[in-house]
Amino acid sequence: MGAGFLLGLAALAASSAAASDAPAPPPIAAFDARVKEYLALRDKAAADLPKLSKESTPEEVVRHQQALAARIKTARKGARPGDFFNPDLQALVKRTVAEVLSGPDAKSVKASIMDENPGSPRLAVNERYPTSVPLTTMPPQILGTLPRLPKGLEYRFLGPHLILLDIDADLVVDFTAGVIPP
Amino acid sequence: MRRPRRVSPVLLPALLLHALLPLLLGGCSSGQDATPRPATVAAPAPAEAPIPLPNRKGSLKFAVLGDFGTGAKVEYQLAEQMTKLHGRFPLDLVVLVGDNLYGGERPQDFKNKFETPYRPLLDAKVPFYAALGNHDARAQVDYEHFNMQGKLYYSLKAPHQSVRFFMLDSTYPVPEQIEWLEKELKGSNDDWKIAVFHHPLYSSGGRHGSDLQLRQTLEPLFIKYNVSVAFTGHDHFYERIKPQHGIVHFVVGSGGRLAPDDIAKTSDLTAKGFDSDQAFLAAEINGDEMVFNAISRTGAIVDSGRIARRVSPPAKASG
Repeated sequence: MGAGFLLGLAALAASSAAASDAPAPPPIAAFDARVKEYLALRDKAAADLPKLSKESTPEEVVRHQQALAARIKTARKGARPGDFFNPDLQALVKRTVAEVLSGPDAKSVKASIMDENPGSPRLAVNERYPTSVPLTTMPPQILGTLPRLPKGLEYRFLGPHLILLDIDADLVVDFTAGVIPP
Repeated sequence: MRRPRRVSPVLLPALLLHALLPLLLGGCSSGQDATPRPATVAAPAPAEAPIPLPNRKGSLKFAVLGDFGTGAKVEYQLAEQMTKLHGRFPLDLVVLVGDNLYGGERPQDFKNKFETPYRPLLDAKVPFYAALGNHDARAQVDYEHFNMQGKLYYSLKAPHQSVRFFMLDSTYPVPEQIEWLEKELKGSNDDWKIAVFHHPLYSSGGRHGSDLQLRQTLEPLFIKYNVSVAFTGHDHFYERIKPQHGIVHFVVGSGGRLAPDDIAKTSDLTAKGFDSDQAFLAAEINGDEMVFNAISRTGAIVDSGRIARRVSPPAKASG
């Protein structure tokens, strides 16, 4: 295991969501701050929407998702790629993922990511995740290297690109291209 | 009065195997070995008659279904077999191993791909408990008939017998989930611990196959905390895997679109494979024994057998 990977892992694991008292490195601290802002924006968008019960009908589920997505899209009208994955974080994520993908389990980690990976459909920030496109599997070994996310947000790969996905609104919050090396 | 238990000829080899396995695996019968006793499985030889579900009073009766939500005719036909089974073998619950809805997830999709085919079971108040697959929108956690209570992973205490299902999210196994799973498994005193999730740790599928990364993460916990059985899907066929570290793994991805001839013929994992028709699994747990039948779209029993649960060794006396 390379020293770079260990450093990257330590840096990413120091994300504020992780149980650590050490201050997060600047790219991660900036990412965490953006995530917090996003959650506040989303909470505000959802504030006066009817709450979903834990036993909702399909109509209620779909209606809620569409309404939430519409409000977030409006609130984030000027959203651009890189709002969350700033260049420093992009470099850090690419480095650590590359380390995992060159380690002893590289073949099976990559196989897991590429299993039913739908390739690279057109991606746009603040747009719906492509309809009918399956979600790629995120190997635990990759998830362990990325900053932890709060409930409602997930990472996914689409082709070689890493996406930050709002699973309640089914919106692409941000993405960073070419994380999986060719 | 309890009737004396008849030991069927089919069970005898199982009991023998049960007794010998710890020795074969290097186990120790003194009670000082920390290795839990492995689950054992007995299945009939191909020429033998299938083992019927005992249908005992007070047992836990359930079905396992996976990769089914296509809305195609074959899904409806398999659902009819589940309804027929329920008529003579009253199901307490159904667990879903994911890919519950393919393609669109509009309200009409929930109806056409789930509510209509399984309406007789829903009307009969048979609860379905879902795990999500890679084709499932995460919003399904709030859907009334999947009983996920808004959670991507959860555990479920069965209404009869000492059984707990651990419903996992294998497309997104975040560290928090793994920590939760360990805590839940550790805290569970249930005799039967059964894991339900989408991506198989063991599969002879050519299209997907075993998820080695997930295996690395989950299997040590399953072994340590005495999980007896794992139900999975993803590969579009039925496969029962030879016990791995004492755990019996099933791939039940055979509820919808099939992948015929996808089971590697040279695989040494397969105890029984079936990929020529849709199938679901029916199972019954009574005490330390699970009896299972894999049932096809035509109602044929395509696999059957008995599983003895894994047992922890008695705790060492202190002092």
